[in-house]
Amino acid sequence: MRALVPAERYTGASVRRVEDERLLTGRGTYVADVRLPGMLHAAFCRSPLPHARIVAVHTESARLAPGVVAVFDGAQMAQMASPVASLIESSPSGGKVSFGILAVDKARLVGDPVALVVAESRALAEDACELIQVDYEELAPVVTVEQALDPNLPAIFEELGGNRLFGPETKVFGNVDGAFARADRVVRASIHQHRHQNVPMEGRAILASFDPSSGQLLVRASTQGVNTTRRMLAEQLRMPLDRLRVVAEDVGGSFGLKFGASREEVACCAASRALGRPVRWIEDRWENLTVSGQAREESFEVEAAVTAGGLILALRVQMVIDSGAYPGFAPLVVDTVREMMPGPYRLEALAFTSSGVVTNKASYVAYRGPWAAETFVRERMVDLVAQELGISAMEVRLRNLATRDEAPLRMVTGPSLAGITARDSLLRAAEMVDLASLQEHQRQLREEGRYLGVGFATYIEPAPGPRQEGGEENTERVRVELDREGSLLVHTAQMPHGQGHRTTLAQVAADEFGMRLGQVRVMVGDTQRTPEGFGTGGSRFAAMAGGAALHGARRLRGKVLEAAAQILDLAPAELDISHGELVGPGVPGGRLPLAELVRRIELAARSGQLPPGTDADLTATEDFDGGQSGWSGGTHCCVVEVDPDTGLVRILRYLVVEDCGDLINPAVVDGQIRGGVAQGVGAVLLERSAYDPQGQYLSATLMDYLLPTSLDIPHIEIEHLIPVRLDPDVNFRGVGEGGMIAAPPTICNAIADAISPFGAKVLEQHLPPARIVELIGAISA
Amino acid sequence: MLSWLLKLPPFAYRAPESLEEGLELLAAGDGEARVLAGGQSLIPMLALRLARPSLLVDLRRVPGLAEVKEDGAGLRIGALTTELVAERDPLVRARSPLLLEALDFIGHPAIRSRGTVVGSLCHADPAAELPAAALVLGAELTARSLGRGSRTIPARDFFLGPFTTALEFDEVVTEVRVPAAPPAEGTCFLEVSRRPGDFAMVGVAAAVTREGDRVVDLRLALTGVGDRPRLLTLDELGLEGRASSEGLFSEAGRSVGARLRPPEDLHASATYRRHLSTVLTERALRTAFGRADIRGGAAGA
Repeated sequence: MRALVPAERYTGASVRRVEDERLLTGRGTYVADVRLPGMLHAAFCRSPLPHARIVAVHTESARLAPGVVAVFDGAQMAQMASPVASLIESSPSGGKVSFGILAVDKARLVGDPVALVVAESRALAEDACELIQVDYEELAPVVTVEQALDPNLPAIFEELGGNRLFGPETKVFGNVDGAFARADRVVRASIHQHRHQNVPMEGRAILASFDPSSGQLLVRASTQGVNTTRRMLAEQLRMPLDRLRVVAEDVGGSFGLKFGASREEVACCAASRALGRPVRWIEDRWENLTVSGQAREESFEVEAAVTAGGLILALRVQMVIDSGAYPGFAPLVVDTVREMMPGPYRLEALAFTSSGVVTNKASYVAYRGPWAAETFVRERMVDLVAQELGISAMEVRLRNLATRDEAPLRMVTGPSLAGITARDSLLRAAEMVDLASLQEHQRQLREEGRYLGVGFATYIEPAPGPRQEGGEENTERVRVELDREGSLLVHTAQMPHGQGHRTTLAQVAADEFGMRLGQVRVMVGDTQRTPEGFGTGGSRFAAMAGGAALHGARRLRGKVLEAAAQILDLAPAELDISHGELVGPGVPGGRLPLAELVRRIELAARSGQLPPGTDADLTATEDFDGGQSGWSGGTHCCVVEVDPDTGLVRILRYLVVEDCGDLINPAVVDGQIRGGVAQGVGAVLLERSAYDPQGQYLSATLMDYLLPTSLDIPHIEIEHLIPVRLDPDVNFRGVGEGGMIAAPPTICNAIADAISPFGAKVLEQHLPPARIVELIGAISA
Repeated sequence: MLSWLLKLPPFAYRAPESLEEGLELLAAGDGEARVLAGGQSLIPMLALRLARPSLLVDLRRVPGLAEVKEDGAGLRIGALTTELVAERDPLVRARSPLLLEALDFIGHPAIRSRGTVVGSLCHADPAAELPAAALVLGAELTARSLGRGSRTIPARDFFLGPFTTALEFDEVVTEVRVPAAPPAEGTCFLEVSRRPGDFAMVGVAAAVTREGDRVVDLRLALTGVGDRPRLLTLDELGLEGRASSEGLFSEAGRSVGARLRPPEDLHASATYRRHLSTVLTERALRTAFGRADIRGGAAGA
């Protein structure tokens, strides 16, 4: 790697990503690039019905089709792998739910896997899928929350006794009734976030290779964490952990989707074990869009207690989450939404009621900033309060945002707000966009029949969030190792899938240890050597892994200098490691390559030349909790023009003022922000996971599920605030999710502002042109 | 039922060296053979298993089909001319601004570099741009078959329904002829799609001939609003004899909106499509009228 930065420090510099040359020239290794001798290909026969009893599965003709090696139905798979057991503690009915790796008695959504065909090629496997006949007995589909709460419709899981998965459960913080009693006015709104989803370039993928002679299963996976994948596979396959090795090389995006092991992936492992041959499954786009998982479908009834002056005293919020067919992630999301509801605002009380239902739609999965509804609901609500009170949204934000010097700085739900710069970011965004002149321009254009709008959203993001007092210790482990070639290896469970971890973690370790960037290798994705840790998620990388790498490199450097001092009979203080060499006035020749030093330390240790107590193990393992603060945040601002006749929205400006602490690599940070904003633009203007009233999925191709292209994404102006540094060393914070958290409310607020002269009220997140024309009143809904 | 499979189903593939050989294959295919040109629509339909031909007859090796020529009657665009080649062709640029404008709305350059002008017409997607442009331009298609030789099909007789044309199973369109634009005619193609490059929710091809401030002729075709584009004239809009005014264009827009029964899909309700048809018709006509003016009326020759 060419070091492009002559500076002494890599950290803080936009070092070119070490990944780029390989990935951009097509030399990456994704699961689909790996070919093994004797490898077979999997395709799934899937339910065309959203809700049906499976009466019989006829696989005889498929078994005889050309190239077919095996066909497994749900009952057979149940012998090969354990059903998935799910426990939802807050469920009124005990919440114990279990379901087969392949659907056994029931299909619960369109695309539910009913049988697995393993053949010599994917095309042959698909041809054979067409020959499988499944006798279904159709059941009434449960498509909406209203239907899920209708006792006359069949239960998707009989054991739940209905389709309510959990709740309603109410938690109260502060004196809610008192605040409402004091309020001059109560502003009410029903706010809805629509279903949309993760669409990584590489869908789910697995290559399972069972070796019958050793009993070992080697799995090549596309995953956010090899350890979690191994643990879940071992559970479902009833295999001891040490028989399973999970390896991940390049991962083509995920956004929260690829955690653990999906049912299809378990099925492929079970098939490989049964057949003694490698089995590969590469999810196609239909499967990705239809069954891999969807997110965000949540609705909120909100009441805000406000004063005439625009102070928001308290909120009453009722949230319902549509968890789709197979329960998993949804119950975890509501807890974070509740805790984060106040955000950076000085809310004095909150009553939050949450409940969840199951429906015959794709299962709810984590998607970049899974709890983002709190920002959407709150920031939309702020604008609605302003609209109702007839004061500016900017004014309402400024009156309610916590200031830095306020004490005690704490959300009413508990977490400390130390170090946040949310208010500063709002002021700076207003200054950058020149709000006063912009609003004057807006007034002028309206006289010409042109509709400009400006919207803001201010947020904070736990990245990873403040230390939980009295809570469980939450740390990330990094192992740093100086190898015989004199390279520094940094082992992490943080699995890169687009973020550039191989560059950024190397920057931190190189600076701390005294290496050239090219002498540091970040090692990921192999359960044989990856340290414990569940994987990439929850914005843990920058603060937690970054901090662990910094402290690990520091400790290892101390050890190496100590041992070197012993060998050279010098004091450690007379030595330094710089540019990957041991240097110091007492070092023979002034410098010693680290490879040579490692050999001499090993030799000295073997021959007993090091004094007792000298640590010659050239590794250091460090656990780090992210340090103080742990908040990222900022303000986004968007300026749009809406064509009231066509409903088309043009984004004229998009600004991000943000604080994610010290930047490890500004270009990588900006890339994360831009990617997140792009997904937010998609969410508002284009992307929707749509079902028809019968539960058929309508967005199953990329002509129906519309992703933004580069032509839809505006130039995104980014400014970084100078952070409040609360930790002596580690003030990096995560930045992966914020773009996607703040963009939807920002764009919706801008559109709402643009069409406010028509009396339109925006209560939803998805605003395609047809909907905007409806809101304006030019056509009826 | 939606297919969850995305690999192509089995089919035979032939790439004949001559048109005659291709016509023989089609005739022998008895309706089960399909012609492959750019493959930008057919291949995705195969992948979704929405089309299941037994044989694909790939025309790529047939010589002489990829040319754009001009004769006294207008442009002649060969069956293998890609949309990108047509868009960059100096003759197309000089002679048919409407076609040029319509081409620019098709997909993205990567798609246009494979998709063909004639292929798009033969595919007859109800939301495609070129069928509407062909109608307004009065284009004619030349179809050849093994047994019956050559025949000419005017665009207005060619499009019969969604993905359905007047072409017989054993016929190949060898070229499309686009008459030279009459002087004093202004044209405009406008569309609204969800994203740049997507199929139109509504698209309008318009041509207006003016004499001073008077509209003497007007032709319109909309795409995305029915089973196929239909040609609309002043007469059919009930506006014949009306002198030009702002009122004419908005009235034409309302008339178009009122007569349509557009389809509903994920991207647009019928109501929204009708509303857009009104808006875009008015905008396209006004722009076309303005462009006719710029050309200097009868001075076009």
